[in-house]
Amino acid sequence: MTPPPPAEPVAAMVRPASRYRDSKVNRDLLGVMKGTSIGYWALLGLCVLMVHVAGGIWVYQVYKGLGIAGYAHPVFWGAYIVTFVFWVGIAHAGTLISAILFLFRAKWRNSINRSAEAMTVFAVLTAAQFLGIHVGRMWKSYFILPYPNQRGLWINFKSPLMWDTFAISTYATISIVFLFIGLIPDLAIARDRARGFRKGLYAALSLGWQGTTNQWKAHNRTVLHLSGLATPLVLSVHSVVSWDFAVAIVPGWHSTIFAPYFVAGAIFSGFAMVLTVMIPVRRIFRLEAYITDYHFENMSRFILLTSIIVGYAYLAEFWTAWYSGVEAEQSAFWLRAFGPYWISSWVMIIFNGVLPHILWFKKVRTHVPTLFVLSVCINIGMWFERYVIIISGLSREYVPAVWGTFTISWAELGIVGGSFAFFSMFFLIFLKLFPIIAIAEVKEIAIHERAHAEEGAH
Amino acid sequence: MSEIDRRNFLKLIGVGAGATAAAGCSELPEKLIPYVIQPEEIIPGIAVYYASTCQECSVGCGLHVRTREGRPVKLEGNPDHPINRGSLCARGQASIDRTYHPGRYQSPMQRDSDGALTPVTWDEATRTLAQKLSSAGSKARLLGGPTGPTLGDLIAEFAAAVGAGGNVHWEPFGQESLREATRLVFGVAQRPTFQLADSDYIIDFGSDFLEQGPTPRYAREFAESRDILAHPDGGAHVVSVGPRLSQTIGNVDEWLPANPGTEGILALGIAREALSHSGGSAGEFAALLADFEADVVASKTGVSADVIRRIGQSAAAATSPVALPPGVGLTSRRATATNASVLILNHVLGAIGRNVQIAPLAETPGESNEFRDVVKLIAAMKAGDVSVLLVHSGNPLYSLPADSGFSDALDKVGFVVSFASSPNETSEKADLILPDNTPLESWGDSAPVAGVRSIVQPTLRPLYDTQSLGDTLLQTARAMGGAVASRLPEGSFRTILESAWAGVDWRKALARGGDFANAPVTSVQLSPHAAQIEVREPELEGTGEYTLFAHPSPLLGDGSGADLPWLQETPDPVSSLCWQSWAEISRNTAEKLGVDSGDVLQVTTPYGKLEVPAYPRGGIRDDVIAIATGQGHTVGHFASLENDGRPGEARGVNVLSILPALTDESGGLAYLTTRAEVTSVGRHQRLALTQYTDNKRGRQLGDAISLTALAKAGDGAVAHFEGGEEQAGEHGGGQGEAHEILRPYDATDDSTAESLYRWGMTIDLDRCDGCAACVVACSIENNITVVGEEGLMRRRQMTWLRIERYVGEGWQELRTGRPSRIDHEELGKVDVRHSPMMCQHCGAAPCEPVCPVIATYHADDGLNAMTYNRCIGTRYCANNCPYKVRRYNWFDYSIENLPDPMRLRLNPDVTVRGQGVMEKCTYCVQRVAGARQLAKDEGRPIADGEARTACQQTCPTNAITFGNLKDEKAEVVQKARNNDARSYHALHVLNTRPATTYLKKVIRDGEGA
Repeated sequence: MTPPPPAEPVAAMVRPASRYRDSKVNRDLLGVMKGTSIGYWALLGLCVLMVHVAGGIWVYQVYKGLGIAGYAHPVFWGAYIVTFVFWVGIAHAGTLISAILFLFRAKWRNSINRSAEAMTVFAVLTAAQFLGIHVGRMWKSYFILPYPNQRGLWINFKSPLMWDTFAISTYATISIVFLFIGLIPDLAIARDRARGFRKGLYAALSLGWQGTTNQWKAHNRTVLHLSGLATPLVLSVHSVVSWDFAVAIVPGWHSTIFAPYFVAGAIFSGFAMVLTVMIPVRRIFRLEAYITDYHFENMSRFILLTSIIVGYAYLAEFWTAWYSGVEAEQSAFWLRAFGPYWISSWVMIIFNGVLPHILWFKKVRTHVPTLFVLSVCINIGMWFERYVIIISGLSREYVPAVWGTFTISWAELGIVGGSFAFFSMFFLIFLKLFPIIAIAEVKEIAIHERAHAEEGAH
Repeated sequence: MSEIDRRNFLKLIGVGAGATAAAGCSELPEKLIPYVIQPEEIIPGIAVYYASTCQECSVGCGLHVRTREGRPVKLEGNPDHPINRGSLCARGQASIDRTYHPGRYQSPMQRDSDGALTPVTWDEATRTLAQKLSSAGSKARLLGGPTGPTLGDLIAEFAAAVGAGGNVHWEPFGQESLREATRLVFGVAQRPTFQLADSDYIIDFGSDFLEQGPTPRYAREFAESRDILAHPDGGAHVVSVGPRLSQTIGNVDEWLPANPGTEGILALGIAREALSHSGGSAGEFAALLADFEADVVASKTGVSADVIRRIGQSAAAATSPVALPPGVGLTSRRATATNASVLILNHVLGAIGRNVQIAPLAETPGESNEFRDVVKLIAAMKAGDVSVLLVHSGNPLYSLPADSGFSDALDKVGFVVSFASSPNETSEKADLILPDNTPLESWGDSAPVAGVRSIVQPTLRPLYDTQSLGDTLLQTARAMGGAVASRLPEGSFRTILESAWAGVDWRKALARGGDFANAPVTSVQLSPHAAQIEVREPELEGTGEYTLFAHPSPLLGDGSGADLPWLQETPDPVSSLCWQSWAEISRNTAEKLGVDSGDVLQVTTPYGKLEVPAYPRGGIRDDVIAIATGQGHTVGHFASLENDGRPGEARGVNVLSILPALTDESGGLAYLTTRAEVTSVGRHQRLALTQYTDNKRGRQLGDAISLTALAKAGDGAVAHFEGGEEQAGEHGGGQGEAHEILRPYDATDDSTAESLYRWGMTIDLDRCDGCAACVVACSIENNITVVGEEGLMRRRQMTWLRIERYVGEGWQELRTGRPSRIDHEELGKVDVRHSPMMCQHCGAAPCEPVCPVIATYHADDGLNAMTYNRCIGTRYCANNCPYKVRRYNWFDYSIENLPDPMRLRLNPDVTVRGQGVMEKCTYCVQRVAGARQLAKDEGRPIADGEARTACQQTCPTNAITFGNLKDEKAEVVQKARNNDARSYHALHVLNTRPATTYLKKVIRDGEGA
């Protein structure tokens, strides 16, 4: 499939036009970083406020105990782990777009990769908070690190939580490095045009980038190698997270389908989150020239594909439970669909498995408002997917005498809400400090396009 | 002031530095002070046991009070005591908190002119009392409950000495009708003792004998009579009559949900059938029994004539049948006739003198125990004939029906004196409070049954400025001087007690716990008037559609247990509710009223109304609404909502508040007296329900096997001590249950090869009756804290041991929506299994590999150990535990839920867990460690039975056995081996290799084969 031609002549985009000192690309994309409206400050202020409220709740929780959350025996993992898995899932789109699509030379990734990478980093950071929020004695959580100590205590490498610790920290490291390496050329562009504190900031961060051939060569090679390193991580991180559940013997958790199911779900939710964030960003900052409907359509295709995988997994889980002949497994799934969590389950099935099928139609794929609504639905559906898996699984286990039902508490609502604010806060700050679209890469594409166009003309 | 010299300068600096340093500390440093002169018998770290007697109810079980460094930390049964033989019920276990109760009166108090209580000294208080008594003369009255013979004598003597107009003895659930019936039939005003152990056919007319007791003795005898090894035919066949499936009825073979109040008719109907089958002569009862033809009885009782005939025939054919009279809840206005009918049945069955012993125990003066005396007292109070009322050992304002008018009468009394040790409804109305010591601080004695006398001895000095009732009376008498003083004996109450025991080696008796002789068996003769009883259906007050069945709570009893936190926290054995009141109604009734579990009902009788949440279930008659006694206190730290920050508000409802003060023929208070109208008020109350389904869904939990299957099974099933090839074990007893391949394994592999031990447990579900004594024992032993009503509603109970209750083999029904109670109970059908569940100490424990920090791990001796200090609270272990026995400290329970001085009770051998750590059953590792140290000192391995867990120790039926699985001769191994066909492992399919073996409950087919 060929991308539609750029709306404006390429030359006008990459070279300074007569009336301006700078090229249109630079003006458009650096322009996003300039000036802040009241709306921006209000939104940022709201986010900061919510983060503080959540922080206050968390401090109270540390002081008082996890009992302020909705946990009820036998549901020992609640909304915090649900939200943790949710954010780890969101973190998947970035690396997928940056690494895997890069390796596959999917050019359409260029105008969305920066925002997706930034989202990845922020989502991983948000997810990481939940490890501290979830544990009962966070002041002792350093026990989980393999540090040498006089007491001769060591950690348990058999525990999936240990694998989690390593998987998440590795993923966070590589996402940050990836984001930063990609930013260097753009930071240099910004440095050359910035004044005041920004000048110093960009100068320091751009690490003396001059745009020489050698630097570009090194840069491209680094990105290539990092992509190679990051690609397995896309698959491994959520596989490891899924093993938190699959390794346990809880009915509804103990299933070999979990790794691919979770990875597909993560990519699904990651792309949905990119849409949810980028559709308003494109509209507010008038970036239609860079993020076109074509980009959205391609992401929709990914969403459709992963939705089919996820939907298949839902069905497969029910089928496996029935086929297993294990009564505990069967009733766990029966109760998932018709038990006390039936609303969550059907939200999950409809939003994730059924609704995305409207994307078979090109009209839907290119209708931005519909896409936006759909992406929000998918985000909700994916949060509920984790809610259903974790909480309905735990609440109906092997001993019927102690079945119990979880109800989310005000503390969890506050902290989960705060996590969205935490994520948004970082994204809003990023929007004004760093180029949200990879300027250098867009230029590269534009030049390539021109070259193609010229070839065609001859 | 002179100049500052060097010495003063240094002094000032020192003081200044000290003050600064002290100000910097938020808490003063605690000092550990060693004994300057160490008491001879106290070795720090070694427990000392003192024999005493439990004072929680009138059964009189022997105690061994475990003390550490001078403080009682746990109560255990006295193995030498003939009544309880080492076991102790939940109420006895929980009663240790009476001493450490946070609400205790800390000194004598007098109400001043503003109505506020102000502390006074004992001298002042007794002088005041002496003055009041002197001026009151015969207008003084005493009212109290059971006290024990010596104290009872002293009280009576005191009453006589001060010239009081009366000394009324009243015990709420005193069962006066049984005593009166015995007098009618046999001419002896005495409550008979029933022996169950040797019986082979027990007809229980709603006595709830496992709950209402004498609990440990009946439970033990019931289990013995049905021991499956001694009686391969299933042992005693037990038929129970009662309107609801109580804890007791859940353990029997046959349930007859007869019309409440018609038990006497049924008893005579059975007696008639028994006679006609045995061909014996009805003798003097011929005329009486003539009216009780099976069909007539059937129409009155609702029990089919065929069943009556069958039971009559079986009872007549049995070698040692016995019938038990109805319990408190079924005392109707015709209770004496009902009890007499049951005694006549016993006579007809030949049980008198064999299973029923009537020993003429000397009546203690002043212990006439009759409600009609209370009625007279109330009338006198109302008439203003009482100016001083002394209330001891009881809480009449709570336990008398509101209709009795005691509350108004009490207001008319000029001066009320209470001897309560912690606040209750009556003491709150008192003008003078002279706090008694708690039983752990007092001297006393008890003579519960003929031949058994046991001593109450103090095990710690009174925590507060309190004084025992006996000493207070003596001091008051001396303050009154003159004739009063000279009439009472010299010395303290202790010396009086010792002299009362003259003729017995005091020190020996003290060490042993009492003087236990064999009960003298006396033969009783039928009274000539025995047949002159009028047996008919009782009249019920009111016109409501439902019979109000106010039955004693198995845990809270008559309400005296409501202020003990562990009795509130322990789930009711039937409903699994805690800290609340509920009304049991049938599912049909619930449907008719349009209510579900937790919907609030208004229950109206002609005497009042109350609002109580509904608890629909299958195991209750459609025309009955059952509400347990015990709740509804407005005073008491735990009994009221004071602990939840709402002092003065009632916790639950007191069903006595809507009962009339009606009596049976004997003048005893009757409880089955009224009908009730029941309507829904359209409000919902969240229930503190710990188990909402009794459907075991065919899983390997609470398994049972039928007698026939057991006879066929032979050696087919599997004990975990045997290695070898795979065997197909029959999972008997159930309908439609799949055959499963059970993999036998050798549990001894699950400890290291060097270890001599692999600790394990065998739990016999056929002996477990679900009494929950183990739950309380475990909680007290292991410093587990209560979490309260709110905590229970959120399912945060901390008990390491719970009793699961399953009904039958059901698995299909799955309800949606609100977690209403899912139950499988059916009217008239008994298939209840009680399954104690605690950490199974799996060989392949799922909790161990998932802990990221190795806080839980496998110890050398096979225990699944838990390191609290290492735990960071990821709670993954609890998720992965299929048995769901791990408990998590959601809050800092040990700080928040142990108000002063309850922390003094904590067992120093067990770590108190802080906020955010996981905990679970340790198999009482501290007891194992204690036994190991002793054995190590003596250079030998731990002997079998040396390390006993708290649950095992207290179990009245010996259902729990703990020991070393590597010791072939150990009881724990032998029990499982000898019951090979009954043994199974909970959730065996998961291959967790548990160290706990369960022995299936035996369902005795129909007639008991």
